[in-house]
Amino acid sequence: MARFPRILYALTLALSALILASWPVQSVDAADKLVVYSGRAERLIKPVLDEFQAKSGIQIELLSSGTTELVNRLQAEGDHTPADVFLTNDAGSLEHARELKLLRPMNMREVDRAIPSQFRASDNSWIGLSGRFWIVVYNRNLVKPEQIKSLLDLGQPQWKDKIAIPNSGSEYLQAGVSVIKTTFGDERTKQFLQGLKANAGSQVYQKSSQIVEAVAKGQVAAGIVNHYYIYRHLAAQPTAPIAAIMTDQQEGGMGAIMNVTGIGVTRASKHVDSAKLLIEFLVAQAGQKLFADLDKEYPLHPDVKADPALVDRHSFRAALVPLARLAELREPTLTLIEQVGLR
Amino acid sequence: MLTATRVQAPSSLQWVSLGTAAFLVLPTAYIVYVAMTAAPAVWTRLWSTRIPELLGNTLSLAVGVALITLVLGVSLAWITVRYDFPGRRIWEWALALPLAMPTYVLAYVYAHLLGMGGPAEQWWQLVFGPDARLPGPQSFTGVTMVMALDTFPFVYLLVRSALQNLNVSFEEVARACGVSPWATLRRVTLPLIRPAIAAGLALVILYVISDFGAVSLLRYQTLTYAVYQQMTSRYDHTAASILSLLLVVMAIIFLVTERWFRQRSRFYQTSGRYRRSTRHHAGPIGTALITGYVVLVFGAAFGIPAAMLIHWSMEAISQGALDTRFLGFIWNSSFLAALAACGAVIIGLPLAYLASRRPSRLNIACLQAAYAGYALPGPVAALAVLVLFTHFAPALYGTVVVLIIAYILHFLPVGLQSMEPALQQVTPNVEEVARTLGCTTHQSLWRVTLPLVRNGFVAAWVLMFLQTMKELPATLLLRPVGFDTLAIRVWLEASEEYYQLAAPAALLIVLLSLPALMLLVSKDWRGDAQEGIR
Repeated sequence: MARFPRILYALTLALSALILASWPVQSVDAADKLVVYSGRAERLIKPVLDEFQAKSGIQIELLSSGTTELVNRLQAEGDHTPADVFLTNDAGSLEHARELKLLRPMNMREVDRAIPSQFRASDNSWIGLSGRFWIVVYNRNLVKPEQIKSLLDLGQPQWKDKIAIPNSGSEYLQAGVSVIKTTFGDERTKQFLQGLKANAGSQVYQKSSQIVEAVAKGQVAAGIVNHYYIYRHLAAQPTAPIAAIMTDQQEGGMGAIMNVTGIGVTRASKHVDSAKLLIEFLVAQAGQKLFADLDKEYPLHPDVKADPALVDRHSFRAALVPLARLAELREPTLTLIEQVGLR
Repeated sequence: MLTATRVQAPSSLQWVSLGTAAFLVLPTAYIVYVAMTAAPAVWTRLWSTRIPELLGNTLSLAVGVALITLVLGVSLAWITVRYDFPGRRIWEWALALPLAMPTYVLAYVYAHLLGMGGPAEQWWQLVFGPDARLPGPQSFTGVTMVMALDTFPFVYLLVRSALQNLNVSFEEVARACGVSPWATLRRVTLPLIRPAIAAGLALVILYVISDFGAVSLLRYQTLTYAVYQQMTSRYDHTAASILSLLLVVMAIIFLVTERWFRQRSRFYQTSGRYRRSTRHHAGPIGTALITGYVVLVFGAAFGIPAAMLIHWSMEAISQGALDTRFLGFIWNSSFLAALAACGAVIIGLPLAYLASRRPSRLNIACLQAAYAGYALPGPVAALAVLVLFTHFAPALYGTVVVLIIAYILHFLPVGLQSMEPALQQVTPNVEEVARTLGCTTHQSLWRVTLPLVRNGFVAAWVLMFLQTMKELPATLLLRPVGFDTLAIRVWLEASEEYYQLAAPAALLIVLLSLPALMLLVSKDWRGDAQEGIR
């Protein structure tokens, strides 16, 4: 009996040795390496990072995950975070990370020149890279485009069981509701959300690509997604009967809801120079073109043209709520979303 | 001498076991603490909006899956143990294969096959006209079927092993006393295999309520899914903790019920007059029926999905999806799973040993504490581990250690489920006999107990290895940078419906799980332990 624990100790020691043996894999700390936490789908970001890696010789380590999840992770890791760069697709989350002092203010002339100031944090803690709009995708066989003028139309009872929406965890949905709430006030937003919830029923999706898929198959007539998912779907299946509606363009209307993909350098990063190189690469004209075209987003650099397949950026208006405000608007929005009980 | 060791030895072991239990219970305690200190307003809001729906969905899913696995598992075990039919040995083995198929893979295969515009619907519309619709897999029925097809082997394996160990003399005595076959089944056989059924169903239910991958792919709102959504969409984890607390309570209720079932029926195999039952020869009609049934279940649970995966993988590979990164994913997956399984066996041993050999209140409490981890869904285990580590050992954060600990926490109960009965089935008499024959306690442990329970422990290791290999939410939340596993690859692709790209990684998970599974099924591990006694 007495030896029983000793064997356990021996086994435990062996196990620890095994773990330690794997240790160096974790803590390689090469000077020219950048760890990128990315809230974007891997396929939407990896090709650009690969290009940068090939050009600069700086090795990129990518961790793809959810946006909020990564903010939480950065906060939990604090000064110990291995991340050098945080890249994600919601300005509200980037601004929140800035407020938590997770990001580092940057002073870069290239950025000031390339990206208009409304798409950056006041201190350049985060820098917008590309823009996207929250729009309605519809099935051309089931819907006529004039049936939907405003996002709020989708809360009307005639769309019962005909629409698909993202789940309430989606940062786009939260940002979108924040903008609607600021424009129309709490009461109308609440009615809209209640209508949306009733109309969508169980058609609540985790990914925008699934919504587009459901619309294309005719499972639902319309859905709310980020614009680029439509074009990505059409690029793969050109005959799919889907199209986009830029909503709320009528006189005095809200305008299309915009959000950006942005990048920030972490406060704890020890590779700031490499991170700067990455940002320079991404805001330069070539980088902007590459980044925006890969995802079918709108480049933010005023001199870079968007993919011709997209709706011309000059043909529609964007909502007027400043991107940085999305962070402060988020908590009240979430409360409203929970009150309504969106999934 | 004997008394001296008795007083002295347990104390050090007891300390180890107490420490482990405290460590294992810490994360759960943290979650409970956060939930209990939440503002009443958060509770009220959740009760009035989400909780009734989530509780209803979770419970009905658990009950639905349990019923189907009960029928599938027991009937298949009965058929393979009591009947002889062509190919029986292969089917015996094949029916455990669904354990190698992660639930989320099964879910995504069926989401494609039965989904809108999928092959099944096209066929259906050919027969019943273009407007005919099939009920989609994204429904209660769909999720229940997928989960049941994936988890019935838990019941099947445990019941099969119980039936094989069952002493047929008991049944013969009943029949000789004039009891009808049905009454014998009800009054003799079923009570004898009831502990196995209960243990199998407990595994199934705990698996179902803590599953994340399948329910999220099929968009079925359960508590675990809601916890993950809360965790990944909120900065504040109060609501996630409240929902987790409900899950923990639910799981504890199931575990207590199962324990009660097992307690009510504890049987020891004491005499040497053990005989296996003879097999019935199935006639031609019986053979056809049995084969049809087995093929149907196997095809739905493993054959068709595996064929789809192979088909998709070929397409993906021809498009160049398989590169050198895959070697890294394979290594990461097997390395993590093996490490977690070893760690869990080591940690579980003192707990299980003490609880079955010296079932004092303290020791049983320690063991129960370890079970708490299973009730913690993957995302919650991850959350708790994450917070504890950033507070107390920040240097370890972002390393595999954290991930391994979350795995152990989460999967140790799976292992304990088979370590504990293995220890229990060795009657204390055997050890006492060894001691009367002059063995020291230590010798009797080495020469009698460990060889007898070895097989149960191998089974525990294999089960934990399989589960870890497939684990998703904790891996998603805690993986170190550059430490993607195969499961992560499947998830990243499948959650965006890139089914072909997800297939190679999914297929690799299945292939890597096969050797472990073969080890589990090739021998009847517990049956051999029994033979050892004779």
